[in-house]
Order: sequence, then C-alpha cells, then structure tokens
Amino acid sequence: MRVDPFYVTNLVSSLNQAQANEQQLETELSSGVSITSLSQNPTGSGENVLLLNQIQQDDSFTASANLVTGQLQVADSALGSVVTQLTQAISLATGANNGTMNASDVKSVGNQISGILNEVTSFANTSYQGQYIFAGGQTSTAPFTTNSGTSPAVTSYNGDQSVNYLESPNGQKIQLNVPGSQIFLGAKSNSVFGALNALVADYSSGTVNTAQAVKDTQALGTALNYVSQQRVTIDNSMTQVTASSDAVTNVQLQLSTAQTNLLQTDYTTASTQLSLSKTQQTALISLISQLNNAQQDLFSKL
Amino acid sequence: MGTINSALSIISQALDANQQALNVVANNVANANTPGYTRETPDWKENQPLNENGNLIGQGVSETGATSQRDRVLLTRMDQQQQLVSSTGSRLTALNTLQALFTVDSGSTSSKAGDIGSDITSFFNSFSKLEANSTDNSLRQGVLSAAGTLAGDISNAAASLNEQRSALDQETSGVADQVNSLTSDIAQLNVQIQTTSPTGDAGTLEDQRQLDLTDLSKLVGINQITSNNNGLAITTTSGQLLVSNGSSYTMTTGLVGGVTDFFVGNTDITSQLATGGGSLGGNLTARDQDIPSAINSLDQLAYSISTAVNQQNNAGTDYDGNTGTAANPLNIFSQPTTVAGSAASMSVVMTDPNQIAAASLGNGTGDNSNAVTMAELASKGIVNGETPTNYYSNFVTTLGSTVSNVETENTAQTASLTQLQTQNDALSGVNLNDEASSLSTLERSYQAASKVFSILNTVMASVLNLGEQTTVS
Repeated sequence: MRVDPFYVTNLVSSLNQAQANEQQLETELSSGVSITSLSQNPTGSGENVLLLNQIQQDDSFTASANLVTGQLQVADSALGSVVTQLTQAISLATGANNGTMNASDVKSVGNQISGILNEVTSFANTSYQGQYIFAGGQTSTAPFTTNSGTSPAVTSYNGDQSVNYLESPNGQKIQLNVPGSQIFLGAKSNSVFGALNALVADYSSGTVNTAQAVKDTQALGTALNYVSQQRVTIDNSMTQVTASSDAVTNVQLQLSTAQTNLLQTDYTTASTQLSLSKTQQTALISLISQLNNAQQDLFSKL
Repeated sequence: MGTINSALSIISQALDANQQALNVVANNVANANTPGYTRETPDWKENQPLNENGNLIGQGVSETGATSQRDRVLLTRMDQQQQLVSSTGSRLTALNTLQALFTVDSGSTSSKAGDIGSDITSFFNSFSKLEANSTDNSLRQGVLSAAGTLAGDISNAAASLNEQRSALDQETSGVADQVNSLTSDIAQLNVQIQTTSPTGDAGTLEDQRQLDLTDLSKLVGINQITSNNNGLAITTTSGQLLVSNGSSYTMTTGLVGGVTDFFVGNTDITSQLATGGGSLGGNLTARDQDIPSAINSLDQLAYSISTAVNQQNNAGTDYDGNTGTAANPLNIFSQPTTVAGSAASMSVVMTDPNQIAAASLGNGTGDNSNAVTMAELASKGIVNGETPTNYYSNFVTTLGSTVSNVETENTAQTASLTQLQTQNDALSGVNLNDEASSLSTLERSYQAASKVFSILNTVMASVLNLGEQTTVS
C-alpha cells in the first residue's frame, strides 16, 4: 500500500493544534476563568448571565437595605420620643385633674403640655436627608401645622396617604413609612394632636372643667396606645429588612459559589492537560525533526 | 531466425526506453513539491512479436510516454469537501469575531465593561435602589448613568456588528474577480485538453485544471460535469452554469439593499451561493444570516426596554410634579419607532434626573410606587414575552451554540478533508523513496542493456573477423 509522502505536513498541523490547545489552557490558568468565549460553553455562558443577574440584584438589595435602615431607625426613634412625651403629658394632666392644684399650677401644667405639643409636632415633622418621613408622598412639605386661632387650636395634616415599599429580589414588599395622619390624627378619639390641643385649652384659663379634662386625658391615653401600635409597623419593617438582607446575603453567597464553580478554571485538570499537551508537543517536534533528517531518505543511500 | 542485428536493435530500443523512463523519474523528482503535480509512471509496452514460420519472437520494449496517477472520483470528492471546509471555516472566523463582542462576564469589576447582561441588571437595579429613597438626587443620577451605560453598550455592539457586516461585504465583493479568472482559465484549459487529449488523461494540463478546480472550490460551491472529449462543465451547486467546455460565464456584482449581490447574466445567485459552500458561501451566510440575526436580537432588546421604560416613566409623576404628555414626554431613552435599527440608535435623551417619575400618577414626589413598578419591569416578560435578562441569556446561549456547532462541523469536515488528501497524496504525490527505488531499478536495467549491447558488439566483431582476432575489435 502506498503512503502519503507528505505526512510531515499533517504532523505539523497536529503540532499547531497542540500549540493552540496549550495557549487556550494557559489563558484559562492565568485568568482563572474556564469559559473564555461563548462557544466554549454556550449553556454555561447563558446560565452565567442569569446567575450574575441574581447576584447583582442581591447586592443591590443589600445596599438599599442599609439605606432604608437609617430612615426606619429615625422614624422609630422619633415615635419612641413621642411616646415618652405623651406619657409625660398624661402624667401631668392626671396631676392637674385631681383638683388639688391652684390656678397658677394648672396654668403651668397647661404651658408644659403646650411645650410637649410643640415637641410632638416637631417629632411628627421629622425629616431624614431633607425629606419629611411622616408626610406620605408629600415629603417636601412639613406635614403638620397648628392653627392657634381657635380654642382648642387645630393641627392639620398637609401630607398624603401614600405608602412606600422596598421590594426584595424575591418579591417581598417591605413597608418603609407610615403616613403621619395615620399615626397622629387617627379617628377622633385616637388623635394625638386633637387630645393635646384639647388639654392645652382645658388648662389655659387656670380653671379646670374636670369632667372634660378627664375625658381629654383618657383620649390622649388612647392616642398614645395607637401611636405605639403604629410604631410596631415600623419595628416590623426594620426586622423584615434585617431578615431579608440576611437571607439575600446567604443566597448571594450560594449563587456566587455556583457562579465560581461554573466559571472557575479547574486548576488540577487544566494543569494536567497542559502537561500532557506539552509532552505531546515535544514528542511531535522530535518526531518531525527525525523524519526531516536526510538519513531517512532512500536517496541518501544511492 | 533472429539475427545479431535484430538483437542489437532490441537492446538499443531498450536503452532508449530506459532513458525515457529515467526522464519520467527525473520529472517526478523535479516536481516533487509543485502544487497540483500528479505523479507520473512510465508506460512500458512490449513490442509486437515477429512471426517467423509460426514462431513468435519477442521484439523488445518501447516506452510510450507517462501516465499521471489520478483518481477523478477522489479528486471530485476532495473538491466537494474543500467547499464545505472553506464554507464553515470562513463562517467560523466571522462568528468568532461576532462572539468576541459578547464576552463572558466573570462578575469581577474589571470584566464588567461592555457586558450587556450586567448593564441590564444594573439599570433595573438602579430603580430598586431608588425605591430606598426616591427623592435622592444621587440615586436618580444613578438611574440615568446606568441607562447611559446600557444604551452605550447596546449601541456600540450594534455599531460593531454593522461594521463587521460591511467589512465582510467588502471581502466578498472581491471574490467575483477571482472566480472569473479561474473559470476563464478552466475554459481555456478545456479547449487545450479537448484538442490534445480527447480520449486519455491530459497529464500536466489536467493537473493545472485540477489545481484551478481546487482553488475554485475554496471560493464557491460548484458541481463538475464531464463533457465530450475530456471537457468539463462547471455549475454552481444550484445549477447556474459557470463554465461549459470552452466558454466561461462572468460573475458580476452589484449593490442590492446596501450589500453586494452576485449575478451571472441577469440572474441574482447570491442566495444560491450562500448555501452552496466555499469561503464565499460561509461569508455570505455570516453576512446575511448570522450577523443580521444578532443585530435583530439586540434591536428587539433595545426596542422593548426603551419602550417599556419610557411608557412606565410617562405613567408616573416626576420630582418636579410633572407627568409626561404626548407633546412633552418624559422619555428616559430615545423612543424608537420601529424595532429595526433600535439597538444602533439606542441613547439616553433624559438629562435632568428630576424627570424620573418615581411617584405614581398624582402622588406626592416622595412616593416611590412608580419606581417599584419600573424595577419590576426586570422580572416582567417585556421582551417577546421574556424578561430582559432571560432574553439576553437565551441570546448568548443561542449564539454560543451556533458558534460551537459550526466549530464542530468545521473540525469534522477538516478531518475528513485531511483523510481524502492523505488518500490522494498516497496515490498522486511524489514519494522520493519510490523515485529513488525506480531510479535504482532503471539504472540497473540501463546498465544491463548496455552490457548486453557491448557483448553483442563483441559477438558481432567475432562474426565479422571470422576467427581473425585483429581486423575488427
């Protein structure tokens, strides 16, 4: 049987193939990434897009969670202070209602409650990064203003009822704010400002209409309980943000591991393959040089 | 009865024959590395015997020329395989350039540049971040900046694809001249072959014609039909005549729809050529199928994202309390009118971050519910029923699979071509060892014939001298 007299050419293309193979392996080893082009692993490349999307979403949510935690903490702290102030107001009012105080003491209680009213108004108008946090969606305007022209004075709400949510990557919606009217101007008996304004009016003259004052004090008590209830919403959100953020961090860790496994060079395999390829290359080179040696030719024997 | 003279005649013919055979060997060795050369073997022919009184007496040997060792079936098969290899080879080169635009993002910050998948995620994430504080100017800027990166990377990719397409177009337009030069060459060779060797192998002329056919097979897909008197007709794989015996038909080019089309006469054969084979077939497939398909996918992506995002932004209230109207739309991206061309023209038209409508229609500017809806677009089937990320992921997988398939095809076809070449070289290539061995044999044969001649000469001298030793030596 005749043989291909140009078999050395085929050996040279094998040598080129071996060198290309080595280059590919060296790229994988030096970059640490096993998929260097889409065609090398089409499904892996597609999967990588999805994994990265998830990881980056999780990353973004963790950053957002940190941002909203600040706002939620400010809201919670403001409501905490409001509770303290209101407790103090109730205790002052209870003292004034038991009939043992003279007119000037009653007036003084009235003044103190008026001070508390101002404090509470200022807490209700708390802002975070320049935005009023109890104003619903109208965050650029102070939500509460008091008109002292009437007796009792009237505190009105300038915000709206819109509620903001932060959506986690798995679709969970976490409430970020409670509209101020819901906290401070609940139904008539729950209205913090209504009760405080009424008490200020009750004690302003120094003469106490005990029945009315007791009723207003009780209303303030109800309003206080209501504020505490609304504060729970904020506390729940804080817990949810922390929990979601932790969960998302865990998921992100798992996804990153999956992505690393998908893309990372398997150093053991790649090094072994490289070593095999190098051996093959050496063998081919020595074979080609042997075959090209003039002594192999019959002409040299003539 | 044989005479000494006839013996001398037989042996001098043998010397001539060996001399001619040595010429054939010399020609083989001389052309050992000539492309397209087919090994020749000397044709030996026993001379007609002499019938003398019923006895047949051998009259020696003649060398009647040389025969090229050629297997036409194998050669035609090799040409067909060459067309396939050239086709997938050039398509693969184009696809490799194409897929380099869509690199695999490892997730590290250094590899993020230019990755459309990450851009899509970052863009929709910028709305998720805006949820945290929809009034924050830096977060609003973040949305516009992410939108700019997304639009920039998509339009850059589309521009690169368009450039690649015109580069391929330029490359293909030059092929017509090469094809014409080869077909006219083949037509001329046909005439020469039909004249000089209508019945047998035309040796060197056929070597040249075969070399032209191999070169032509590298360029376009062809069919070969043997015609009368050793002529050859060549058509494209779908039957358009390129060469018929002594005539060749010129392939011309012309611009149709902004790209180069190929004609023979008035017939547009571009689509036939694309499926036919050869490097032209591969390049045309890449130019008219692979690249447009990638551009189309990007167009769809760009159109859907731009439209959905613009629509949602116009459905909300921006930071200044405005809502988009038909006259003054609050568009983040330039609104494309058609899907085609959307990717190349994708850009961010919004410059004022306040115009991002984070609040729902009629709500206060601190409301974030429209930002939530915009972030949710990332998980809605806004691109042909798929989420933007899934759509891009499928695009990447499809593109990768196409490249990988063509790569596999090309490897298999190349292996098969190498086998065919090996078979053909085994038959038709000049093997120097063979030639050395033939040379040795012929040398011995020549030496033997000259020895016989010299002995016959001595015998003849003896006859002429009739026993006298000195008259003739």
